Amino acid sequence: MENKGFNVSFDAATGVATLTMAMPGKVNKINADFGNGFIAAFAEIQALAGLKGIIIASGHKDFCAGADIDFIYGQRDADALYAMVSELHAGFRALETCGKPVVALLTGSALGGGYEIALACHRRIAVEHPAIQFGLPEVSLGVIPGGGGTQRLPRIVGLQASLEILAQGKIVRAPKAKAAGLVDELCPDAESAHAAAVAWIAANPRAKQPWDDKRFVWPGGVQPDTGDARNLFAAGAAMLVKKTAGAYAAPEAAVKAVYEGALLDFDSAMQVEARYFVGTVVSDQAKDMIRTFWYHRNAVNAQANLPKIADARVQKVGILGAGMMGAGLAFVCAQRGYDVVLKDIRQDALDKGLAHIKGQIPKLAKHLSKDDQAALLARITGTLDVGDLAGCDLVIEAVFENLDLKHRVIRETEAVLGEDAIFASNTSALPIADLVKASIRPANFIGLHFFSPVEQMPLLEVITPGTTSEETLARALAFGRQIKKTSIVVNDGYGFFTTRFFSAYIMEAAQLVAEGHSPLLVERAARAAGMVVSPLKVFDEVTLSLAAHGFEMRKRYFDDDLDQAPGVRLIRKLVELGRTGKAANAGFYDYTSQPRRLWAGLADVVAELGAGTPAETGIDALQDRLMLAQVLEAARCLDEGILKSKADAEIGAIMGVGFAPNTGGPLAWMDRRGVRAVVTALDALAAAHGPRYAPPASLRAMAETGERFFEAV
Amino acid sequence: MAEAFIYDAVRTPRGKGKASGALHTVKAVDLLAGAFAALRDRNQLDTARIEDVTVGCVTQTGEQGSCIARTGVLLAGYDETVPAVTLNRFCGSGLEAVNGAAAKVASGFMDLVVAGGVESMSRVAMGSDGGAIWDPSMEFDYGIVPQGISADLLATLNGYSRDDVDRFALRSQQLAAAAMKRGAFDRSVVPVRDQNGRLMLDRDELPRADTTLEGLNGLKPAFQMIGVNFGVDALTQKRYPHVEHIDHVHTAGNSSGIVDGAAAVLVGSKAIGEQLGLKPRARIRAIAAIGDEPVIMLSAPAPASRRALKKAGMTPGDVDLWEINEAFAAVVLYTADQLGVDLDRVNVNGGAIALGHPLGATGAILLGTLLDELEARDKQVGVATLCIGGGMGIATVIERV
Repeated sequence: MENKGFNVSFDAATGVATLTMAMPGKVNKINADFGNGFIAAFAEIQALAGLKGIIIASGHKDFCAGADIDFIYGQRDADALYAMVSELHAGFRALETCGKPVVALLTGSALGGGYEIALACHRRIAVEHPAIQFGLPEVSLGVIPGGGGTQRLPRIVGLQASLEILAQGKIVRAPKAKAAGLVDELCPDAESAHAAAVAWIAANPRAKQPWDDKRFVWPGGVQPDTGDARNLFAAGAAMLVKKTAGAYAAPEAAVKAVYEGALLDFDSAMQVEARYFVGTVVSDQAKDMIRTFWYHRNAVNAQANLPKIADARVQKVGILGAGMMGAGLAFVCAQRGYDVVLKDIRQDALDKGLAHIKGQIPKLAKHLSKDDQAALLARITGTLDVGDLAGCDLVIEAVFENLDLKHRVIRETEAVLGEDAIFASNTSALPIADLVKASIRPANFIGLHFFSPVEQMPLLEVITPGTTSEETLARALAFGRQIKKTSIVVNDGYGFFTTRFFSAYIMEAAQLVAEGHSPLLVERAARAAGMVVSPLKVFDEVTLSLAAHGFEMRKRYFDDDLDQAPGVRLIRKLVELGRTGKAANAGFYDYTSQPRRLWAGLADVVAELGAGTPAETGIDALQDRLMLAQVLEAARCLDEGILKSKADAEIGAIMGVGFAPNTGGPLAWMDRRGVRAVVTALDALAAAHGPRYAPPASLRAMAETGERFFEAV
Repeated sequence: MAEAFIYDAVRTPRGKGKASGALHTVKAVDLLAGAFAALRDRNQLDTARIEDVTVGCVTQTGEQGSCIARTGVLLAGYDETVPAVTLNRFCGSGLEAVNGAAAKVASGFMDLVVAGGVESMSRVAMGSDGGAIWDPSMEFDYGIVPQGISADLLATLNGYSRDDVDRFALRSQQLAAAAMKRGAFDRSVVPVRDQNGRLMLDRDELPRADTTLEGLNGLKPAFQMIGVNFGVDALTQKRYPHVEHIDHVHTAGNSSGIVDGAAAVLVGSKAIGEQLGLKPRARIRAIAAIGDEPVIMLSAPAPASRRALKKAGMTPGDVDLWEINEAFAAVVLYTADQLGVDLDRVNVNGGAIALGHPLGATGAILLGTLLDELEARDKQVGVATLCIGGGMGIATVIERV
């Protein structure tokens, strides 16, 4: 057979042919080989005498992983891609209009294009297992479904439900997939699923798609081109813009494709999808997002050049400090099966931390049985006694950012730990080299920087001063994998990468306000650029007093002009006024009204500090300033060797501190802008506001040679 | 250029635009035909002389679809040679119909044109005709919002508080009540009767003479839900990033009412009036329409008025009376502010907040109301103007002869 990887079997007794996809390698993915193989196998099936129905099955663990990303990433020719997509559409159309019932036998996950194959079948029968997932997550890579997903899904689950799935790229696990309408039937295992498929074929000899029926009525209660549909789309579009600030093209394209396609017959609607699909695939935004969320993320998660160990030799984890971070960490560790000792020095703080953990159960562990929830809680022990940390294999300290305090905590903790135990600091800024001075086992000492709220934030920044052993790093990475975090490993230095990078963001916002720019425009500019959270809002959340504390700490490590910057003076002034942030109900925002409003008195404070009227302002100019300040910090961290890889810069910036995902990351942003233009802009800023804006030599060199951070596609 | 004169203007009373409204059981085309018939009868018109009929109607679907104007002409018993066209410039349609008629006459191409408008909002729901403007692309690419949000944005940007707009609404109710009491609308209003001659409605049904400021203050903001909960406010940030929060001040009490109604205006040349023995009541001095920023949407009556006044060689100060459509209270406050016009000369008999806004008919109704009041006060110059969906404005300058 020339269709390698696409096997046809036929049961003459039932008349059921099975097309099993088992492409070379571990996964089925949609590319040219797939097209050829699938079409040839399908042709073979259609020629079978006595054919009653078809089962599409997978010979791999997953049903189909979707489109071949290498193929999608390389596409820039809209015409050529449109032609290819049209062929794919025709293939799927042939499947669903072949006159025989076709069943997708979903024994594994079907995502993206893989799920679109299932949508082109008349029936979707799945194995009910929580590890099996379905959905159309294309928008997370900056594209939309291109195999009919934007047209078939709304016609199967209804307009409203499909908009939520498509615009958010939602993935649904098998046990919930039937209720969501993503599959028709759930079976306990592959065998029963197969039997159900055969039975359905026997019972539905003349299956056709609902949309090929002249009497088709849209499911979900909303018919296209009605008042209800208009309200639905208006609200859907508005909610999307509220969430994305208009920075993402793909979810908007998905909504447009559904809206326009719903006004048309199915074949015409597919042309609409093809146009929007092609438009997103060839776009810069898709290239930047695919590079980061596919290639970089896979590379970072592969941890290829890092020491590897299968067993972290961690069973019991100690957490020092029961605040938001400590309690959150305790929950995350217990959730992954670790025994946890949560220690604080005050009973009330400990009680609060334990209460926080309990409160997380209905939110984050509601899928567990009551017994499992109880077991999770039982794995966590609260204590005020350092002696209870004895026997911990890993201790993570999350106490206040004070060098002396941390030294004390390190000494008293290490004294009760075994020789093999790892001590990790979750400091967000202090150089690990300064902390390790208090350690009696420097080789077992490492920085593990988590992000708040740790239950949600996917990144772990691992910091290794020269003293950390390879084995400790390997164990820490294994632990990180176990708690499902994506780790980047960086070199030691004040603020490492993420804290420096994040500080650059919020401090630039403070600087802009101090220069006399409208704080509201600063906020809006950040969101319009794609930043996940606006800077003054998040500044209030991390508290201004913490930042002010940071100015003092960083002075010991940096000899620059930041301390004289108007932005720093503004923060100090606000702290002096008691406006320390959200916790104090007063920061850049006023929290006494609902919802929060920017503090009306800010302009007076800024004027008092001597701000003039900025020569240039507005959303575009402010966006540039906010982004330039951040990308500059990323370039410096690369230049100084804090960052060991460019992928770490992109992943750390986006997954750690919410840098604009639509850009692909700070380095991709510079590539898109052009490094030369970035250097020119930074030089201008340095001239106007001080040398802290000056680009590092390496960036200047790149500008001169025309070098890029990433190869252009 | 020839001149265009208004010879007469009639309208139906406005019925509440809901199932319990007095005109709900009357077909839209019957409202329109009734207005046409009244215009003919009271002017003893030889309808064969009418060269065109232009009718504004916004929601042209269902019974209001398929060129309702021509069906209205036939049902009114006009001569079969009378053609008709239905047009849609959203809320400006009724005035657009008059302006178009005036242009046909003033150009000399035609001598006698009937203009008017109709909307049975109780029978044909607003928005039920769909439209390109509802395409999500317009939200993504332009930030188009429903007009209630635009009205609230307009109020927010110009500092009109909830109390300001409620006070204006109260004024509208009080002036409308007073106007009805003294019979200010009697010259224009023709009662609606059923096929047996039984009276269905002979006066505007919507006004509430007992309205109080406290009552208005107590009403729920009408657009808070879609603005905040459905996220629609966020769409305006693209154009208005400097607006932190939209103050949702408009309610059912300070926005125009939903009603049923129709109107007809007789527009002709000087010569035809002489031939038919008709006495001109006013000259149409200038007409204008204009576009403005579509997210704020409701800001264009002022530039439209200025454009029309400029054509007439006038300034806002030359205008004795204004009819500025009360789509939302903030629109009138804003337009008057922009034009520098004292409210004493604006909507002196109340407006759509009290009386209702039958979308396609309102422009023609306003012109009739304006003309009646100029005559009652023996004043000369009046301007009728309306804000329009999609960010447009329209205005007509008339002068008594």
